Amino acid sequence: MSSPEGAALATEPAARCLMCSVGCPVRATRVGPDQYAPDYVPHAGYAGLCGRGSVLVELLDHPDRLRRARRGSGDGTRTVSVEDAARAMAEALRGADSPVVVADGSLDLDTLAAVGRFARDAGARWTAYVPPGDAGLVHGLDASDASPVGPEALADADALLVIGDVFAAQPVAAHWIFRARDAHPRMPRLVVAGGDTATAKFATARVEPPLETGGFAAVLAAVRTGRTDGLPADAAVLAGWKDQLASAERPAIVVTAELGYADGRALADQAAALAAETGAKLCPLTAGGNAWGAMRAASAEGGACPAEVLRPGADAVLAVGCDLLSAYGSAIGGSALDGATEILYVGPMANRTAARASLFLPAAFTFETAGRAMLGPGRLVDFAPLMAPPAGVPSVARILDMVGAAGGEPADVSAPCEAPAMPEVVGGGAEECKGVVVAPASDAVQYDDGSVTGRARWPQAVRPRPVLGLAPADAEAVGVSEGHTAVLSGPGGSAEVDVSIRPGQRAGQAWVSRGFAAVRDAFGWSWDGRRPGGPVCMEVHQS
Amino acid sequence: MPDEAVAEQVDRRVVLDLDRCIECKSCMAACYYGHGQMAGVQFVDIGPAVLPVVCRQCSDPACVEVCPAEAMIRDERGVVARSVIGCRGCGSCVRACPFGVLTLEMVGHQVAKCDLCEDRLERGLEPRCVAVCPTRALRFATAEEVEAEGLTVLGGRIAGDHPIRRR
Repeated sequence: MSSPEGAALATEPAARCLMCSVGCPVRATRVGPDQYAPDYVPHAGYAGLCGRGSVLVELLDHPDRLRRARRGSGDGTRTVSVEDAARAMAEALRGADSPVVVADGSLDLDTLAAVGRFARDAGARWTAYVPPGDAGLVHGLDASDASPVGPEALADADALLVIGDVFAAQPVAAHWIFRARDAHPRMPRLVVAGGDTATAKFATARVEPPLETGGFAAVLAAVRTGRTDGLPADAAVLAGWKDQLASAERPAIVVTAELGYADGRALADQAAALAAETGAKLCPLTAGGNAWGAMRAASAEGGACPAEVLRPGADAVLAVGCDLLSAYGSAIGGSALDGATEILYVGPMANRTAARASLFLPAAFTFETAGRAMLGPGRLVDFAPLMAPPAGVPSVARILDMVGAAGGEPADVSAPCEAPAMPEVVGGGAEECKGVVVAPASDAVQYDDGSVTGRARWPQAVRPRPVLGLAPADAEAVGVSEGHTAVLSGPGGSAEVDVSIRPGQRAGQAWVSRGFAAVRDAFGWSWDGRRPGGPVCMEVHQS
Repeated sequence: MPDEAVAEQVDRRVVLDLDRCIECKSCMAACYYGHGQMAGVQFVDIGPAVLPVVCRQCSDPACVEVCPAEAMIRDERGVVARSVIGCRGCGSCVRACPFGVLTLEMVGHQVAKCDLCEDRLERGLEPRCVAVCPTRALRFATAEEVEAEGLTVLGGRIAGDHPIRRR
C-alpha cells in the first residue's frame, strides 16, 4: 500500500517539524473546533513523523496559549494591546542599564537575525538558546574542515559508527540507517551510547562512554589512536573499529550531541578527525532542528555566549520563546532573572519565565509562520506555516516590526560560526563520586527541556515523569526495583523519578530523562566546569 | 467504494518486525492523535524489548462475546471495532482479550481500540501506525506475507512461543 496523499504535496513548500535536525515535513487537519490531527507527508520515500513531532499540532489551538498581552505581576496584571506592550517592551530595554535578550533557537533564521539587530539597537547583550550539546557540536564542526552531510546520505553506507542515542534524539534518522542495513545486512554498526538504549540494541559492537566531561570524545580518541588508557576495561572492544570503517567502501559516522557544550565541542573535534582519517561521511544531528542556523545567525549578528549573557547583573531580561529556567536550570536561569527589575516575555505559551514576567506578549510558534531554517551545513530549507496562529496573535517578526526593529534583511548564515568564546572548563574530568554519576538522556517522547512537549497530552500520558536508568548493582545498593519511584538528589535540588533497571549499563553511572524542569534543576548546572548538560554526581534514594 | 476498499484489506494485519523496532513510540502517537486522543497502540515492556502491541482483529473475538453493552462488534468486513457511543468503559473486553492488546487505561470512560484506521483504509492508505513507522518495523501484511517473511502479528509473540530475538 502507499500513501498517495503526500505525492501531490511533494513539490509544495512544506511545513517542517523543527524539533530535531531531520526536519520532517508535516501537515495538520482540523478535526474538531479546537482539535487538530497530524497527517504525514511522504518524505524521501517514506511517511513518517515521530511521536515528539506529532505534538506540534496539539499546540496549535492549545487552551494554554497566550492570546493577550498583559502587564504587571501577581494580581495586579492588566490586559494591554499588543502594540502598547511592544512599545513598553522596547522602552524597558532601551531604558535599562544592562539589558539582555535570549531568543529561542527554533525561531526562523531571519527573525533570529532581526532579534539580534533589535538587541544591538537597544544596547542589549543577546544570545540564541540551543541545547548546550548542540552548540558545542556546531562550534566544533564549523571550526573543522569537515563537510557534513544530512541523514539521507546514510542510506548507502556500508559501515556505520553511531555516537549517541540517535534513535531517541532523532528517531526518523533511523529510516536511512535501516535502509543502509537492508542493503548491507552484515555491515558493522558500531555504537557509542548509553547502556540498553534503543540505538545500542542494534549495534554489532558497542561501548558505553565513561560519564565525565569529554567522555564521548575520549572514546572516539581511542578509536582513532587505538589507545584505551584511562578508559574502562571494556573499551578494549574499540580495537579495530577504525579499520572496519576505513576498509569499507562507504563508511559513515553519525553523531548526535549528548551532554553539554564542552562534550559536544570535544566530540566534534574527534568526529571530524576520525571522518577525515577513515574517509567516512560525517552526519551530525542536533536536538534543535535549527541549531545550526541559530548559532550561525547569532554569530553573524553579534550574539554572545550564554555564559556572558546570563551572568547576574542584568536589570532587564527579554526572553523570546524560551524558558530560561527550564532550559538552563534554575541555577543559571534563576540567577539571571533574580536581579532584573523588568522581566519581559514574548512567546506562544506561558512558562516559568513568563510566570515571573512583568510584561508578556503572545506570539506565534515558529511552525505557524513561514521562514527559513538551517538543519545542518548546506541544509538550508524554506518552510511554510503548518496552520495560522490564533486570531490576534502576531508572529515574533511582526512584534519586531512594531518596535521598529530593522527587519526584512535575510540572515547571512553562509559563513561558519565564529564561536563566541565559552569559559574554560574548570575541574572538568572525572570526579570522586560517592553516589552515581548521572547524565541527562535524550527521550523519544519529551523534547529538550520539556517546555513544548510538556504542554501536550500524549507525552504527559506516556511519560509524565522522568525515568532514571540504573545499573542493576546500583539499584540493588539503593534498594529500588524496576518501576519504583525514587528520589534523585543533586547539587541543585531533587526530582522524583521512575526507576528502570538496565542490565547493560555500567555500574556507577546512570541516565535520566532530560525533558523535565525538575531534573534540570537537580543538576544545579553552573558555568564553572559543569556547564549545562554535563554529567553530575548525584544520590539516589528510595521515595 | 469505501466498504469494498476496506473489505479487500481486512485480511491484512498490523505486524511487527521486532528486529526493526526502535521503541520511538511514533506509532502510538499517530494512533492517539488520529483517534480523538485515544491510543489503540500500546507499548509493553517484556524485558529484552519494549514493543508495540495492537488488536489482532480476531476472527472469533472474545472481546465481542463478553461485551455487556454490545459495543464491541465484528462487522461483516471482519473489522473488530468498538462503538464510541455504546462503550461504558467496564473493562470486560480488556480482561477477556487473550493477547493483552486492550488496556485498562480508560480515557473518557472508554477502552481504546484499534479499528485499523478505517478512514484511511477507505482511501487506500495504510493505518497510521504503519504509515509513520520510520524503520518499517510495522507492516500491514497478509497472512501469506507474514508467513513468507517470518513477521509477527502484533500480540501474537507475547502469548505465543516465538523467542524474542534480534538478528
